[in-house]
Amino acid sequence: MEENFNENLAQSINDIQRLIENVETVIRGKRSQIKLIVTALIARGHILMEDNPGTGKTVMAKTLAQSISGNMGGNTADFKRIQFTPDLLPMDLIGSHIFDDRNKEFIFKKGPLFCNVLLADEINRASPKVQSALLECMAENQITIGDITYPLEKLFFTIATQNPIELEGTYPLPAAQLDRFFMKIHFGYVDEDTELLIYQNYLSIQQNQIQVKQALSTDEILFLQNTAEQVFIHSEILKAVRNIVVATRNNDEIVLGASTRSGIAFIKCLKAYALVNGREYVTEDDFQELAHPVLDHRITYRNKEAKSRLLSLMIEDELNRLSKLKIH
Amino acid sequence: MILEKSNNIRKVAMQCLLLALPTILFAFLILHRLNEAYPILKNQWIYQGIYFALGVLLSIVFYGKRFRFVSTTILLCLLFYIGYKLLRKISVGEFDMFFFSVQYGVFVFIFIIGWLVGSGFSRRHIFTISWVLILFCIEIILISKVAVVSASVIVFSFAPVLLYGFYIIYTAELVRKLNERQTSFGWYIARRMFGFMAVVLVVIAIIFLLFRKELFTLERAWKNVQPDYSGKNNNSQSLTKTNRDGTLSNNGQMPLGGSLNKTKQLVFVAHLDNPLPESDIQNPLYFTANYYTKFDSATQAFETDSLMPYNDLFAPDPSEYPLFFTQTDSSVIKNSQAILSRKVVETQVYKVALSAKDFIAPNTAFAMQPIPVPNEYEGQYSSAYNAKMWVSDLNSAYFVYNPAGDSSLEKFQEQRFALLRPDTIYTGIDSSFIHYYTKIPQGSTYKKIEELAYDIVRKDSAQSTIDKIIAIRNYFLSKDEFGQPLFQYTDNPGEPGLPNANKLSYFLFENRKGYCAYFAGATLFMLRALHIPSRIATGFLTVDRSSKNPGWYWFYEDQAHAWVQAFFPGYGWIDFDTTIPDINTQQAPQPDGTPPLGTQKVYFVADGTIENIDTSKKLMQLSVNKILYKEKSFSAKETVSINTDIAFARCTSDTGLLKISDLTKDMHISAASYDASLDKAAFIKTADTAAYILNYLKKPISIDEIKVIEQAGNGKKSERRFLNIQALNWSKILWVILFALIIFMLLIIFAPFIIWQYFNIRAGRKIQTTNTAVLFYLNQLGYARRNLSPQAFAENIDKKFMTDFNRFNSIYQKDKYSKLPLSDDEQQFATNFYKTFIRQLKSKIYWKERWKQFFHLSNTLFFFMKH
Repeated sequence: MEENFNENLAQSINDIQRLIENVETVIRGKRSQIKLIVTALIARGHILMEDNPGTGKTVMAKTLAQSISGNMGGNTADFKRIQFTPDLLPMDLIGSHIFDDRNKEFIFKKGPLFCNVLLADEINRASPKVQSALLECMAENQITIGDITYPLEKLFFTIATQNPIELEGTYPLPAAQLDRFFMKIHFGYVDEDTELLIYQNYLSIQQNQIQVKQALSTDEILFLQNTAEQVFIHSEILKAVRNIVVATRNNDEIVLGASTRSGIAFIKCLKAYALVNGREYVTEDDFQELAHPVLDHRITYRNKEAKSRLLSLMIEDELNRLSKLKIH
Repeated sequence: MILEKSNNIRKVAMQCLLLALPTILFAFLILHRLNEAYPILKNQWIYQGIYFALGVLLSIVFYGKRFRFVSTTILLCLLFYIGYKLLRKISVGEFDMFFFSVQYGVFVFIFIIGWLVGSGFSRRHIFTISWVLILFCIEIILISKVAVVSASVIVFSFAPVLLYGFYIIYTAELVRKLNERQTSFGWYIARRMFGFMAVVLVVIAIIFLLFRKELFTLERAWKNVQPDYSGKNNNSQSLTKTNRDGTLSNNGQMPLGGSLNKTKQLVFVAHLDNPLPESDIQNPLYFTANYYTKFDSATQAFETDSLMPYNDLFAPDPSEYPLFFTQTDSSVIKNSQAILSRKVVETQVYKVALSAKDFIAPNTAFAMQPIPVPNEYEGQYSSAYNAKMWVSDLNSAYFVYNPAGDSSLEKFQEQRFALLRPDTIYTGIDSSFIHYYTKIPQGSTYKKIEELAYDIVRKDSAQSTIDKIIAIRNYFLSKDEFGQPLFQYTDNPGEPGLPNANKLSYFLFENRKGYCAYFAGATLFMLRALHIPSRIATGFLTVDRSSKNPGWYWFYEDQAHAWVQAFFPGYGWIDFDTTIPDINTQQAPQPDGTPPLGTQKVYFVADGTIENIDTSKKLMQLSVNKILYKEKSFSAKETVSINTDIAFARCTSDTGLLKISDLTKDMHISAASYDASLDKAAFIKTADTAAYILNYLKKPISIDEIKVIEQAGNGKKSERRFLNIQALNWSKILWVILFALIIFMLLIIFAPFIIWQYFNIRAGRKIQTTNTAVLFYLNQLGYARRNLSPQAFAENIDKKFMTDFNRFNSIYQKDKYSKLPLSDDEQQFATNFYKTFIRQLKSKIYWKERWKQFFHLSNTLFFFMKH
């Protein structure tokens, strides 16, 4: 069993590396973000990317989807993209019953949600009604219409992008919806050198984007997800997760703290992230690097000042505790 | 959280209750004492305390609500200033104005202090520590105001600050760390507080129980050391001297000149029971220590003379004599040449600061019996003895002294004068005696004194000896042509302008100011000039203070006195005190204590040396020289050995309490028993020997009191063994403190280095310790991890110094968090990593920079706060 795991591990690490490198042919200078997205994928979660328009969110999502599904046939993932708009209706997502003239009966026409990789572009432009439609499928991988429940694909990964809520024509996502995203990452601008590189090579990059090869199959992704579950997480790190989640609930400056679900999501992400970093155990580094993306969007602060500092201070406390520990 | 946030109402309430309330109570105490020490505060400590309380409470409530500190405080000051201006406008009259503005100033000052303290409690982390330090400083200032600093004064002034300090630092942190959301919040606090207080109380109780005896001994020793009689202080004289062990004795020499040094220190307590007829005034009231019979004209000092003829000074050493055995010297009575109006009087003396070796009693003492100090007075008195004196009925402090209108005393004086008046010539007295006690140095100045004496006597046409003495007394009390007193009493008479000028003639003819030694000295020479045998006696003067404990007298150091004794044939030496009263300084009444009552009846005393002692079974074998039984002394012809049971025995020496384990073989002790059953033994004849009596007593004899007698030759050896308090050497203590401070400073400075050495030694043993050492070294060099994750930090370091820290870090993390074991390769790398890493760092950082950074203590502190 142990040896089996080690073999799997080497295989998985290799696969992940391949996937990341594949994405990097299009997305330059965003290694840490790519790692986080892959982490969310492997942790069986969903990811929300937030930033100003034109930072490469959509391209990123598309590239990742293509790296899994490819643009050729075979055992490829099914990739759907929905552009969210204010007039989007839930049935546009989940599908609807339509009347079949020939058979004289209603048949269910599946919506775009029935896919492997879903790119929900500009998710916060849709009305709350549509947001609610996403709740069930994101949490339970199934869709219920009337009294019939349709299961989604085994591999169902949502990449949502959103513009900062300060922008016009956006609705803030409800807390329940946000909680279902394992991570929210800021895409951010690339550094100056990379930017210059992009300008110099934009033609070839565009070319790459069209020709993104498939790096991993759906089965391979599912295998990776299984492997990630077996990554070892030390009880002290579990304790650290517990501490920080509880701390967010017991703070004056926080209106709504992190839920237990977020704690579980955090642990799943930690395991996946360790695997992404080529390790079979979770470390303090994983904890520190993931705490912000996993927890930030689940906490409602009383004011801006708290938002900018409070979580960092909590993480720092926990990290200091961990580094002080003498485990052996 | 460092983030400033508004305090929850519960937290504010807790701060008010747990921090502000004790602080306010403490402030009341401090303010009260400050008011006592500084009259400028006008003794309005209650108002001041209220101002302070207002400041603290308002500040805590105010700053509980996220207000900015600096701006609000400036605003507050501004408000006070405006208030002050308004007050100026409103107030009428110059005096009102001054009064109000002072009051207002005090109010503002104290309120602002309270305000700062409150804000400190509310906001600042380390504030409590600085606050306690400030209180300590105030306490030190207050102690400097205390007249007689003793160990207990220090303990009792610092103990509250210490307690308060412990309390406030602990509680402030507790309140700060508080999670107000917690359920059963009050119970949590109460539990913590009770637990903490219990621990503190238990610790203090233990300390007190363990060191109580030491504290009292120290207290006594400390008291003794207080005045500095080191002799270096040239312009200061004292009638007493401090011995090497810190106890007091009367001086063997009484030089004239300088100022008299007086302190309020209890020297001994004595009991007398010989009141004058129809009066409660005791007779005699002078306790004599020494006689000065010689005068050294070169040093102008009166001296004792062991070769004085008819030596009637009984000077036994009570510390060398066994307990309960009486030492008698009947030659003293013979030498006193007194047969008329004499009787035997007893006194008990309980020593406090008086040296154990000293013997003080009214003259003429002839017997001394050391007695134990009762158990309950152990800390108060060091040792005690009974003395018997051959006391003259005529001898009293009131003999020539101003009776101050007391008719019974006047009558008493008249009777005595009448009794002595027939004595005018000294016939039939040994001529060598007369010659010795009437000797005056040669010289014109002494001639002048002689002339003055004759003048005085002639003016009063005094014929008899007593009238001559009264004439001299009257001369000192007389008034000049302006109706002013001719002589004045002063502790600080000043020096004659010319060096080596005769101080006595300066006193008699020019200055006419002095203390007892001057009056006694002048009187002595005048009496001797008139051929009246006389000498100076020194000792202690009784002051009758209260009628609470009749017969008990408390002798403070400022009661040390010198006076003259004149010889009357048949009546012997009689005290005459010609010192005039001190009209300038009012004697502050000193409190009397409780007299040491309840001495137990002793039934059996044995004097001997220890043959064998079993400290576990509490049995002792004593080889006895002599015993005291039924108040009769029996000596053993040959030493007899007896078994004694010392389970309940109290061991003492003159320097304090001893433990039974301090007793060793061959020690000379006296053992006393209060066992009443011993009394029932067989009929005793005086002819019996000790061995015979001992046969009849039941064995083992239970001993209640053991006193170790320090033999003269044995002194040095025993010094170390006993709980012997040496005189504290202040310069030595200062040096020790200075030395300790330097060591402490060095430790602080070299702390980073020492800690580094510690980590260095441990590095390499385990990956964990290596990591700590590496982190510490980097931290000392100014590369702290701060908020970076370990990996990011390691990568930074690698980039900067071309090291392999990241790899080590990942191995460390694996070792810490993975369940897989490290591979040999990793293990190898981790063990070798440390030395190469440090070498690499050293080569990359210039040594000057390295050393500069390395000794930053703040770096070290930061490290230990983080890790």
